[in-house]
Amino acid sequence: MTQSVSFNSSAQRQIKDRLTRYSVSAGGIVVLLALILIFFYLLYVVAPIFYGASLEKSKTIPLNDSHTTVAIGVEEQNEIAYRFNSDGRLRFFNLTDTPREFTDYQVDAEITAADRTVPNQGLVAYGTREGTAYVVAPKFGVSYPNDKRLITPSLDYPMGEQALSIDAQGQPIVQLAFEREEESAVVAAITEDGRGMLVRLEAEEDMFSESLEWLPELAEIPSLPKSVDQMLVTPDLRRLYIRSGNQLANYNISNIDDVRLNSVDFINSKDANVTDLALLTGASSLIVANDNGSITQWFDVAKDGVRKLTQIREFNAGTKINEIGVEYFRKGFAVSGEDGSITLFHTTGGGRLVREMTDSKAFGLAFSPRASGLLTESEKGLEFYHVDNEHPEVTWRALWSKIWYEGYPEPQYVWQSTSASDDFEPKLSLVPISFGTIKAAFYAMLFAAPIALAGAIYTAYFMSAPLRKVVKPTVEIMEALPTVILGFLAGLWLAPLIEDNLPGVIAIMVLLPVGFLATAFAWSKMPKKVRQLLPDGWDAIVLIPVVLFIGWGCIQISPALEQWMFDGDARLYLTNELGISFDQRNSMVVGLAMGFAVIPTIFSIAEDAIFSVPKHLSNGSLALGATPWQTLTKVVILTASPGIFSAVMMGLGRAVGETMIVLMATGNTPVMDWSIFQGMRTLSANIAVEMPESEVGSSHYRVLFLAAFVLFVFTFAFNTIAEFVRQRLRDKYSSL
Amino acid sequence: MISLNTENSRDTKLDLANLTAEQTALEVKNLDLYYGSKQALFDVSMKIPKGQVTAFIGPSGCGKSTLLRCINRMNDLVDICKISGEIMLHGQNIYDKSVDVAALRRNVGMVFQRPNPFPKSIYENVVYGLRLQGIKDRRVLDEAVERSLRGAALWEEVKDRLHENAFGLSGGQQQRLVIARAIAIEPEVLLLDEPTSALDPISTLTIEELINDLKSRYTVVIVTHNMQQAARVSDQTAFMYMGDMVEYADTNTLFTTPAKKQTEDYITGRYG
Repeated sequence: MTQSVSFNSSAQRQIKDRLTRYSVSAGGIVVLLALILIFFYLLYVVAPIFYGASLEKSKTIPLNDSHTTVAIGVEEQNEIAYRFNSDGRLRFFNLTDTPREFTDYQVDAEITAADRTVPNQGLVAYGTREGTAYVVAPKFGVSYPNDKRLITPSLDYPMGEQALSIDAQGQPIVQLAFEREEESAVVAAITEDGRGMLVRLEAEEDMFSESLEWLPELAEIPSLPKSVDQMLVTPDLRRLYIRSGNQLANYNISNIDDVRLNSVDFINSKDANVTDLALLTGASSLIVANDNGSITQWFDVAKDGVRKLTQIREFNAGTKINEIGVEYFRKGFAVSGEDGSITLFHTTGGGRLVREMTDSKAFGLAFSPRASGLLTESEKGLEFYHVDNEHPEVTWRALWSKIWYEGYPEPQYVWQSTSASDDFEPKLSLVPISFGTIKAAFYAMLFAAPIALAGAIYTAYFMSAPLRKVVKPTVEIMEALPTVILGFLAGLWLAPLIEDNLPGVIAIMVLLPVGFLATAFAWSKMPKKVRQLLPDGWDAIVLIPVVLFIGWGCIQISPALEQWMFDGDARLYLTNELGISFDQRNSMVVGLAMGFAVIPTIFSIAEDAIFSVPKHLSNGSLALGATPWQTLTKVVILTASPGIFSAVMMGLGRAVGETMIVLMATGNTPVMDWSIFQGMRTLSANIAVEMPESEVGSSHYRVLFLAAFVLFVFTFAFNTIAEFVRQRLRDKYSSL
Repeated sequence: MISLNTENSRDTKLDLANLTAEQTALEVKNLDLYYGSKQALFDVSMKIPKGQVTAFIGPSGCGKSTLLRCINRMNDLVDICKISGEIMLHGQNIYDKSVDVAALRRNVGMVFQRPNPFPKSIYENVVYGLRLQGIKDRRVLDEAVERSLRGAALWEEVKDRLHENAFGLSGGQQQRLVIARAIAIEPEVLLLDEPTSALDPISTLTIEELINDLKSRYTVVIVTHNMQQAARVSDQTAFMYMGDMVEYADTNTLFTTPAKKQTEDYITGRYG
């Protein structure tokens, strides 16, 4: 008998096989690629915050001027620099490559003293021999002839061209400090005969001419130091600092009729002398430079009810410091050193950003408004540097360590990214929001894991098959519930309910498990006739009326309980008697709502794992004389442990990444407190809340991406650990 | 042709219908069993002698496994199963309300068709039943492990790796481990439900030899659909068909001179 046998499969089948293989592989690769792309995109956006700063010299302009400098500066576009000299002359310099000529301006008075304000005010005050003062500022008019931007500089008198009278006796002013805040201004002046004058000017609008008239109020500065090296008025016009050598006199000038000397402090670093003093933007901080290279930051800290000027942190430039230049809006500053170095610092970031050696010693420093340029003055003239320093406030330390922020009593972890003011110090610690994420997940798991696992065990192991067929899909369909609905219910219905019935809700939490156990015990003691009313495996439905009754009963007795145990208001009792603060949207609400969202995930996977434990294993145990309970705990759960573990980790992963519920039910307060009655802010909710309001490319924007990255790492780490442990468990306990 | 085991006890034939109380390990009385509305066992009555191997044979679905599982009440686990009649062990009906099923199963051990070691070490598998009874004394446990593994002819093969996972053993070794686990708790009766059907011929042979050794200490009841095996290992054989106990006799008689036509048809391979 002969038979022709072909070992070739048909061409069509081969094509199908190959097609399937390729499309499956392609799908897998695309998924992997998408993940890697997300990962790298996050890194790409985040990376710039960790780039260092750089300084690059772009222009040198020689100066021939016998008079010293009062103020130098750059306008916003880095096109024009300016310099006020001590003779009242304002000169403009071209920083671009296209040649331009500018007119000089001259304040027409005999100048004897001068001062500049903080950079973002940008004013210069000149004191005269007649005891008067002029306030001037550079003005940059922008026009667009031929559709090209043209900036025309000129001299402006923002407080009028009239001289402001400072000294009633008309003595020449030898030293001057000036600051303005909108419609008020303060001039502190020292006259030739050694009197310290303080003048507060209030603007009054003339009804007819609509011009501002400045009305002065005068006071004398009490206990003026013998020699005055520097005078500074804070831009909020509340403080006057007078430096005399290493001593700083601190005056409260908020009330001109009651000018008081608060304190006199030594502000020099150890074994060093102070060389310069500057107010940091926002004006709460003083920056003190020393001749040994040490730079210290000081601000008022309330301690025991007294505000005291306190040294906060120290930087080191490594050389004697000549001059401090502060940024317009951020908490950054630059110092020039005796060795010709220019060093950039940032206070919040807490470190030296860049140090650049130059071939000349700079004795004047000024940032451009956007901190993208730095103008210095040295014996060679004016030198302009391009500054690349986008994200000085974000450092590893600022993100993850306790930082002593301006106005805070001590170093803290704080997330507060924005405020209404420009010179606000952003507080970008990721610790409180990472903590919030973990806390929310913890409370959710605390609620969900026991319920879901117990439910899964009962359903898989004890429940009758027909009942299981109803229960399992019902629990699983809970997962399909949009979390925004859960969050909405939690925030608007559950949170007030819990607040109003706090004793009742706590009573439910205690009584439900107790009630379950009591019912189960009572049921087991029932005569067999009663028990046989329910088929085997249906006995759980006995609990339904118990749950309803306990729930209803606890809410009913809640007011009575509150009256009896908590003096009528549990919330107040908690706050006043126990010192526990209570947020309406708190961890309990989140735990319940997010727990509800997580239960189906855990339940479904754990139930599958337990149900798929081979029957011959449990039978083997039973046949050895084990009770069902012993079989469950010693064989079934052990064998299902990889699946149960993954179930819990999947639940945890979901709780960590969950956004809508925490967004709507937590109150979004980035506090660090484990209390169940406090809210929290999570990484995910934080991104959802703040991303729409953050400026693309700003530090805030990049830190939000970093938060996303941290979240990604969290879930990645959880899943990796989960998978690793699961594999180990499976190798050990799998019976298949 | 079926070869018969003609040694020892087979020579002294027992009168199976009239066993004395001392000779009887188990007595099944008028047992009816229903799976839902379907009756699976019809009025089964038999006495199983002590210290001997009794085999149940019959075609698939004849109820032989069901009958075996009645003896340690494993059928209780099937929701829809209903039983009437009695099974007497020590003069007590094991289906009596007062009987603790777990305690019963400690006296009536069972080995299943598929080797089912627990996902634990060899040692922990053997002592599982002892630990359930709360025995913690290390010496007692160690002693039981050696005795049981020797009893199951496995000791020499595993004595150096007692604390390794039981899944590392071969199928035949696993089945002997399961037997060791069953005899560790010293049952009176050992039920074997097709213990070699998932094993290779060499493992089968080892188990069969083991069964021969076991009967000196335990009453063994074995279900098999391998007639040669029944002939080789058993002293008594019961032939079941469609839930009826067709014929129950000593193995020699049943295989050589069956009384019933159905038995003869089955053992000569006309159906089954």
